[in-house]
Amino acid sequence: MQRNNLILVGMAVLVAVMLFFAARQSRSGQTAGGATVSAPLGLAGQTAPEFTLQSLDDKTVHLSDYKGKAVLVNFWATWCAPCKIEIPWFVDLQKQYGPQGLQIIGIAMDDASPKDIAKFAQDMGVNYPVLLGKEAVGDAYGGVQFLPVTVYVGRDGKVINKFFGLKGRAEIEDSIKKALSQGAAAGQ
Amino acid sequence: MRDNIGDRNGLASGKLRLAIALALVLATSALWAQEGFGTKAPSVTMAPPAAVVVHAGRLGKATLQFRVADGFHINSHQPKSEFLIPTNLKLDAVTNIAVEKTTYPTGQDMSLAFDPGEKLNVYAGDFAVEVMVKPLASVTPGKYTVHGTLRYQACDNAACYPPKNLPVSFEVEVAGGAAKQSPRHSIRNLADPKLK
Repeated sequence: MQRNNLILVGMAVLVAVMLFFAARQSRSGQTAGGATVSAPLGLAGQTAPEFTLQSLDDKTVHLSDYKGKAVLVNFWATWCAPCKIEIPWFVDLQKQYGPQGLQIIGIAMDDASPKDIAKFAQDMGVNYPVLLGKEAVGDAYGGVQFLPVTVYVGRDGKVINKFFGLKGRAEIEDSIKKALSQGAAAGQ
Repeated sequence: MRDNIGDRNGLASGKLRLAIALALVLATSALWAQEGFGTKAPSVTMAPPAAVVVHAGRLGKATLQFRVADGFHINSHQPKSEFLIPTNLKLDAVTNIAVEKTTYPTGQDMSLAFDPGEKLNVYAGDFAVEVMVKPLASVTPGKYTVHGTLRYQACDNAACYPPKNLPVSFEVEVAGGAAKQSPRHSIRNLADPKLK
């Protein structure tokens, strides 16, 4: 009887260990700055959710306006210091890869006034559209509990990946190259 | 005989259920214990503050001790950029106890690994905010509770979280020679004419 009990407890521990590793495996464990995880979005491989938002220059912008382009959607805020680090990289990358079909879009998830957001964007020399974010759009992209969050969409309109937190410039550039190559035939 | 077998089967399936439950509990606990698993939220907590004992018409000091969770920082009261959200203590307006002055600690300068040139000024770990209070000369001796919120915005090395408001309260005990039994008053309630 004692032996049976030991076997059962042993099985329980084994199952617990298996469940633990299975759950860990289901999220990619890459860390950024040692603090946040980069998890593939549940929508990866699926069509990026359409959105309609107002830009800082009061234009209505839809994601579908960029059909055929590789799109980098960056959720950010003026109060987010790591976002401020990425923005100059995005400015450079837009210049570099724009002619090849990249379109970066910034979505400000901010309580600041459009005027303050515009001032921030101007100070940073932003050369891509900045849209005024809505929580519903963040939710459609799997939730934006913290910033920055960056979603890469291929030319075929399908989500390639979603990164939480600040990433290195090289990693961002690699994802842009992937987005440019994904669905290249469909997009051209 | 059949009953004995049934009992034994029942006992065995009961143990199996127990083993499965145990496995689930163990796995869940192990997952929760994982740090940096993407579900860890930043938090600022306040230690229970000591009551400020002060005579009417005199100044008393409340020291509010806060703790920022490991791995996170919040902007100091004077961050280095106009766009960053400063830590700010807002106390509810009261009529019989004046908040004379709030003193914030100096933050620590820090920068993120990707941009060492950009300096931030933050609180990490423990920090204290001092509040000078002064009961009006006419205030009835007794215990009063001051309420408010600490607004902060937390980040780690790679991401920032939306601003939050932490409810804050501390007690001011207005000493008086004649008052043996101190009645409790809530300043928020006294300030509300409907509750007077």
